[in-house]
Amino acid sequence: MPWKRIINNFIITMNSAIQREEIQKKLNDIKKTDILVGIPSYNNARTIGHVVKAVQAGFAKYFPDKKCVLVNSDGGSTDGTAETVQNAGIESYQTILINHRTTPSFKITTPYHGIPGKGSAFRTIFEIASALDAKVCAVVDSDLRSITPEWIELLIKPVVEGGFDYVAPLYHRHKYDGTITNSIIYPLTRALYGKRIRQPIGGDFGFSGKLARFYLTKDVWETDVARYGIDIWMTTTAMANKFKICQAFLGAKIHDAKDPGADLSAMLHQVVGATFELMDTYFDAWKNIEGSEPEPTYGFQYAVGLEPVNVNLDRMLDRFRLGVKELMGIWKEFLSEGIRVFLCEIDSLPRENFHIPDEVWVEIIYSFAVAAHKKIINKEHLLKSLTPLYIGKTASFVIETLESSASDVEEKIDRLCVCFEKEKRFLVTNWN
Amino acid sequence: MNNFLQRVIIEPFERFFEMALQFLPDFFSAILIFAFGIVLGLILKAVFLRLFRTIKLDKFSERSGVIELLRKGGIKDSVSVLLAKVIGWITIVIFAVISMRELEIPTVERLFESFLLYLPNVFVAALILLFGYLLGNFFGRAALIASVNAGIKISGLIGRFVKFTVFILSGTMALEQLGIARGTIIISFAIIFGGIVLALAIAFGLGGRDIAKEYLEKKVKGEEKKDEINHL
Repeated sequence: MPWKRIINNFIITMNSAIQREEIQKKLNDIKKTDILVGIPSYNNARTIGHVVKAVQAGFAKYFPDKKCVLVNSDGGSTDGTAETVQNAGIESYQTILINHRTTPSFKITTPYHGIPGKGSAFRTIFEIASALDAKVCAVVDSDLRSITPEWIELLIKPVVEGGFDYVAPLYHRHKYDGTITNSIIYPLTRALYGKRIRQPIGGDFGFSGKLARFYLTKDVWETDVARYGIDIWMTTTAMANKFKICQAFLGAKIHDAKDPGADLSAMLHQVVGATFELMDTYFDAWKNIEGSEPEPTYGFQYAVGLEPVNVNLDRMLDRFRLGVKELMGIWKEFLSEGIRVFLCEIDSLPRENFHIPDEVWVEIIYSFAVAAHKKIINKEHLLKSLTPLYIGKTASFVIETLESSASDVEEKIDRLCVCFEKEKRFLVTNWN
Repeated sequence: MNNFLQRVIIEPFERFFEMALQFLPDFFSAILIFAFGIVLGLILKAVFLRLFRTIKLDKFSERSGVIELLRKGGIKDSVSVLLAKVIGWITIVIFAVISMRELEIPTVERLFESFLLYLPNVFVAALILLFGYLLGNFFGRAALIASVNAGIKISGLIGRFVKFTVFILSGTMALEQLGIARGTIIISFAIIFGGIVLALAIAFGLGGRDIAKEYLEKKVKGEEKKDEINHL
């Protein structure tokens, strides 16, 4: 109903963080900006100081003649995150730069309104970007420990100088880091939209002011997009609406654990749910795409040392087996008999022989996507029931790559992507 | 003699004839109303069948598990057909009642009156049972998935427990709505439910002592190796 949407938008706008008096005052002082970098946060006092310093150093080093604004959109932190942001700064630019900046940069710290989550924080950042008519924007996570001033250059310059609208990050990550990205989100979005964006939910993006305003026109702020779904939504919206996209190599991504309290099934539900939702929205954009093509990548690529990641394989296999034993009744409504028989067989195999082939995994994910589209069962139940299967696939991946190098692992992920692309016919045929 | 014949035979016949004359219009109008009810029932059945098929009610009922419930109860019709039939029959029954009232027979009137007054209770009870079934399945499945994802070994049991608790609760509410042994049912439910909780508490207390100890040791001493995988 358009009128309902109008009323909703009106209420949201009136509730918006930028309506606050002190924010309005700051916006009136700043008036306009060339560059805006947003940092969403929630209880990140431990790490956000470093991120703020890196961003300010990036402004000073790479954009000394541009007007720059740093926005911290906070979810009501109780650990002093806002104070850390206010107090963080580079005391003497001369200690890190030969030439220090001439134009002062600004800092805005504001709590966001709406559903608690990263997406709502981003929305406030987009609103401030729009109010300040920012030409280029970037967002970076507040839990980053490996961010450097160069990240700001790499995320901003392709927009300023290359005419791109969206800059996705490219990192070196540990082979067991970002497993939802590696096993579901990257292969699926690559097969759907034909663009090889390696970290579609990386969390650190650069984008044009035009794209920020386009994001604000979308009525998605009461959905999973307001939570963990925001990253995939930003990337997919840019891809499906034919905005000019590239990647920037940022080096290693080392960060604190995402959210120690967040449970895996909720994360999976939000991220995969948002991806499936976007498949409904952009069916016409992906149905005829075959294969994929690489996107331009900026930045000098180099090898990095990464911290080891501990994995409890026995526990993962236990979770998978428990899921196969108890959830088969739910899966039988949309998984083929062949897949179900396979899952029952693999369930009894010893750890060393445990292996979920790419073809099986692709059919599982496509079957879940079709089931979500056809609303075969309640969407939350459907997506949360994917958790044991995802854990099983991750366990299989860990077993297969125990001795593999980073490049071997990358090749393996690429083979999975090719499998997703080959089997896309299955998805399109079963969609309607 | 003539008087006698008049009083014993002719007068009763005349009275019967008068009564018959009085009754016949009511009888015919009752038949007419009933016939109209049958025709209207058939028309409404066809109209609602088409409407339910247009709004794809069968697909929804398949997803929500109502079809499964009906099949278990030996009903092979689809929900659209079943509901259309029910609407048709309700129309026919309503017109049958109206036509019976037209006959103005006090016993029949009283019988139908109490039947009509009880009918909403049956309808509400059926609705409670249906919602109870749907909610039981929904919450049972939610509990099952949540406990599987939490790695609880007795997930199946937890799911079934939640499901049947909702079923029993809705069954109790439906029986109470029908006014069947109100006090007895509530007391039985309270005893059964309290008994289950007590049994579970004793079972956990006695049987689960070692598991609880092991669990607490793991939690406190942190013996279990943790995953450090960052999924996003």
